Amino acid sequence: MPDLVTSSNFTMWDLFFTQKRKRLITSILLAAFCAVWVYPLIWMVSGSFKPNSELFQGTGLIPDSPTFSNYGRACAEANMQRYFVNTLFVTIGSVVITTFSSALLGYVLGRRPLPGKIAIFGLMVFTLFIPQGYTIIPIIQLLTMFGLGQSLWGLMIATCGGSIVVFTLLFAGYFTQVPKELEEASRMDGVGPFKTFWYVMLPLARPVVVTVVVLQSLQAWNDFLLPLVVTLANPKMRTLSVGIYSFKGEHYIDWGGMTAASTIAIVPIIILFLILQRFFIDGLAGAVKG
Amino acid sequence: MLEPFKGLVSRRKFLKSSTAFSVATFASPSIINAANFMLPTGLPAPNGPLSWLDSGGRKGKFHKAALADYGKEAGIEVIYDGLPWSELGKVLPLGIRNGSAPDTFCLPNNMEGAVAVNENWVQPIEDYIQNFQEWKAGFPEGSFIEGINVFDGVTYGCPYGGQRRYDDAVLFNQNLMNEIGYNHIGATRGFTYDEMRDAAAKMTKAGTPGIIIGGKAAWRWSTAATHLAQRSGATVGTWGLWQGMNFEKGEYDYASDHYVEAVELLLAMRDDGSFFPGVNSLIPPQAREFMTQGAAGMIIQGPWNVPIWQDAAPNFNFGVSPVAAPNESAFGNPLYNPSLMQTGNLMYINRQAKNPEYVGGYLRWLGTLEGQVAYANVGTCADPALFPQVLEQAKLTKPEREMIEMGGRLVRIHPNPSVRNSDVAKVAVAFKQPTLSSGHAIQGLFTGQLSGIRDTLQGLTDARNKALDDAIAKAKTDGAKVDRADFVFSNWNPSEDYGPSQYAEL
Amino acid sequence: MKNRNIASRIWEARIDYLFLIPGGIIFSAFIIFPLVASFYYSTLNWSGFSELSEFVGLENYRELLQDEFFYGAFKRSFIFMLITVPVQMMLGLVLAIILNNKFLKLSTLFRAMIFLPVVAPIAVISIVMALLLSPFNGPINGLFQSLGVVSGAIDFLGSPQLVLWSLAGIFIWKWTGLTMVYWLAALQTVPDELYEAARLDGVKTWQQIIYMVIPIVAPFAIVISLISAIHALNVFPLVQATTEGGPYFSSEVMEVYIFRTAFAPSSGQFPRLGYASAAGVLFGVAVMGLTLLQVMAARSTRKRRQEAELA
Repeated sequence: MPDLVTSSNFTMWDLFFTQKRKRLITSILLAAFCAVWVYPLIWMVSGSFKPNSELFQGTGLIPDSPTFSNYGRACAEANMQRYFVNTLFVTIGSVVITTFSSALLGYVLGRRPLPGKIAIFGLMVFTLFIPQGYTIIPIIQLLTMFGLGQSLWGLMIATCGGSIVVFTLLFAGYFTQVPKELEEASRMDGVGPFKTFWYVMLPLARPVVVTVVVLQSLQAWNDFLLPLVVTLANPKMRTLSVGIYSFKGEHYIDWGGMTAASTIAIVPIIILFLILQRFFIDGLAGAVKG
Repeated sequence: MLEPFKGLVSRRKFLKSSTAFSVATFASPSIINAANFMLPTGLPAPNGPLSWLDSGGRKGKFHKAALADYGKEAGIEVIYDGLPWSELGKVLPLGIRNGSAPDTFCLPNNMEGAVAVNENWVQPIEDYIQNFQEWKAGFPEGSFIEGINVFDGVTYGCPYGGQRRYDDAVLFNQNLMNEIGYNHIGATRGFTYDEMRDAAAKMTKAGTPGIIIGGKAAWRWSTAATHLAQRSGATVGTWGLWQGMNFEKGEYDYASDHYVEAVELLLAMRDDGSFFPGVNSLIPPQAREFMTQGAAGMIIQGPWNVPIWQDAAPNFNFGVSPVAAPNESAFGNPLYNPSLMQTGNLMYINRQAKNPEYVGGYLRWLGTLEGQVAYANVGTCADPALFPQVLEQAKLTKPEREMIEMGGRLVRIHPNPSVRNSDVAKVAVAFKQPTLSSGHAIQGLFTGQLSGIRDTLQGLTDARNKALDDAIAKAKTDGAKVDRADFVFSNWNPSEDYGPSQYAEL
Repeated sequence: MKNRNIASRIWEARIDYLFLIPGGIIFSAFIIFPLVASFYYSTLNWSGFSELSEFVGLENYRELLQDEFFYGAFKRSFIFMLITVPVQMMLGLVLAIILNNKFLKLSTLFRAMIFLPVVAPIAVISIVMALLLSPFNGPINGLFQSLGVVSGAIDFLGSPQLVLWSLAGIFIWKWTGLTMVYWLAALQTVPDELYEAARLDGVKTWQQIIYMVIPIVAPFAIVISLISAIHALNVFPLVQATTEGGPYFSSEVMEVYIFRTAFAPSSGQFPRLGYASAAGVLFGVAVMGLTLLQVMAARSTRKRRQEAELA
């Protein structure tokens, strides 16, 4: 083992805890840690297969009398599958619009010598500090003015507003580092500014794009108050978070239905993340550097 | 709004639900006996679906099923929504502003009808109910009150539920009660304060915490305390703006001996260790459910528990009894409600409603004997029907009947300043509730974050009285003709209802 | 070149301005407009839905500054931030360092597992936590009791002393995954050669970490802590869904306070959007002010240290 031979400071400790062993122990400890970490979510999935009467009986992870009735209720009574589609629409739509807009914005703010750039930057950072939560009323007013107050399109557009500042800053940070030569080369080839952006710069920023896609998907998928208000009169349009809420009545809580609905809500977003995991981390790396 | 399932039903439902909104009929076939809804003549073509919003619960269960049947007969699609009060309060105003509010709705539970009328949210129901005067005459007296659901002689709010309802009872696990030797407590004989404390302690010693409450909802604390105080003799209102208001004096009276004793009882039980350990993280529905699983022996909650328990936990052996009174001589003290008809459930028609005629047709049926009986079969004691004669005909179980009987015996209507002077509504709008509500104050006393019962309650009284004075002053500057004297009712006999003849005497 | 006037510079950059448009519209509509509207509302005595509203100027602000609940909420928001940010940062860093090792099998899997709570919707988490932490037959209580740590059930979310800590715990659990990912990204900037060289010199792993890795990623700490801090101040959905600010306001952080005044009154009260808007504005300004102070303090300490070194 080359380590031991070349290094001069080894002790009994090092002899016993070889690299391999260290890694094995670390793996085991980590596995235990992660199991505990993820336990609440596993518990939720297991709860979704338990009937309501059992949920508070203190049974363990394996249900005593497993049942699909919770899921049945979630789909038949609460229309989860429709909400799923709605949420998908809002999420995908807002992801596309947000990514595109923030990329454009970040590109300009990051690279182009624009008069008033600093002012815009400053303004954006300023807005990060103001708490949200009650801005819902002006937003609804705005949507209503344009006749979008009750439409899924309106909801989708309003959802874009959530993190657009953060995303713009991420893009700006990333674009600042891209060498100038690429741009100039394409300019000299006679490519217009927009095509330059689309075919040259954007692909370069792929890691950040992935990051933004993941983060915006998260936010749009899990958003609650805004969809609640916009879809009040149209249960057909509701999203998953709102739908989960329908299990919580004034006089009765259907915990089983809630956990089943929650499981339905959570699975797609987990899958998305698992697929995009590596790009996401690389994207953040690039962005945080800037 | 979901109800617990028996396996058979869910399969049937699966087969039945083919439409997007499966507003399916429920298992028990006796929900809607009416074969026809006496549809009005000359209904226009439907303009989209008929939408209905209320606070859910037992009545919601009824409406959801009945509306579905109505929709089939009338040939219109129906959307039913039952939102908890807190959601209703947030979502309805926003919906009105952006034009997405339903055709008919009940108002958030802190909003007076007068406000909705002033704000132009609603329109009169009279035009949409055929033979309105005749229909109206079929209601018991006290169902249409100027200032509550009638404004300038025009009816806006449609009543269908009664409020002679025993809102807070001591509901208990019968097996446990028998075990500790308190099996004489029941619908005809409630606890005294000492007995209740003793029973709770005995239960705790026997292994189950004596008492539970949905403590996370601050208003549970103030409602329970108010009802205990009323049993002790406090002549105060229970809900909303009128909570804690002594109508003989015309001012808030939280610091009276009655209230102090009531809070002392609660705190004494806490000190005994009789309270379920997690009360402040439980919302009332949870507390209710935990009772059926043996988490505690007693709960102070409303009559809606009864049908829910019967459905969800048929093996749960429970009993009902009136709220505890300080001693036996106080057993006759009633609880007070603001009006004979249930104001929280008044249905209003949206000014921008798309299908008001269809709403009217349904409401009309609801206000007939047939409709009321059908309603009573489902609403039972939880959301009683308005017509008293119906309660004889409805199918009720023993505890349901007991609750209704308790309501008849021990609930009285208190004077209502809004009825006396319609400008009081302007005061309600201007009223700025001090952040420390009675519920929060009592919750704080319970958790120990606040100390000094009398001082806290006195502070509460002073703050609320001051807020009322400020509101009156503000309403006056807006042109209202109202003053403190409007809240004083010297001709009230607290053991009787305050009715139209008493208002006339003033 | 520099003296070209503004007008021609703007003209030159016109295409760039075009690029600004989509993002600009969204930003103006959904961030600037509500902000300005909130400023405006904060000067009104308005319920938020009524037709009646009246201009009261700075009256709302004056009332706010005398409201003990406002200060309480303010304090709680900051306590919450001071608890969660350091813990998240450190835990995230430790996890990132451990999981940065390419040779560790399954490190990708572990990373995903730790990130999982980040992905779960708040509504879901609040439900799960309410069930898990339930004093009545909840698993966590069951575990503590069987270990003999406590005799009775603990009311994690209903006891005024514990509730803020319980919420902090849930918050940390949910978001540490994200902090870990940020740190992982930062760790990418440490070149592999450095590790190699250190190992060949016989430097032990923990020494490598302390003397080599941490100084390199330290600058990132500022950005990450800023993001985390802002995050911790936006904790509204979690608190509202689990405790609604109770019991007796003991978990009422600033956003819950705003929400309560804006929308959800106790019985007998009308919502007060104007007042709530004022609270929001005041809070935002205060947070910004504190951050500026912090940045300035950091700058001046750095400057002083540099001067000390030079001297």
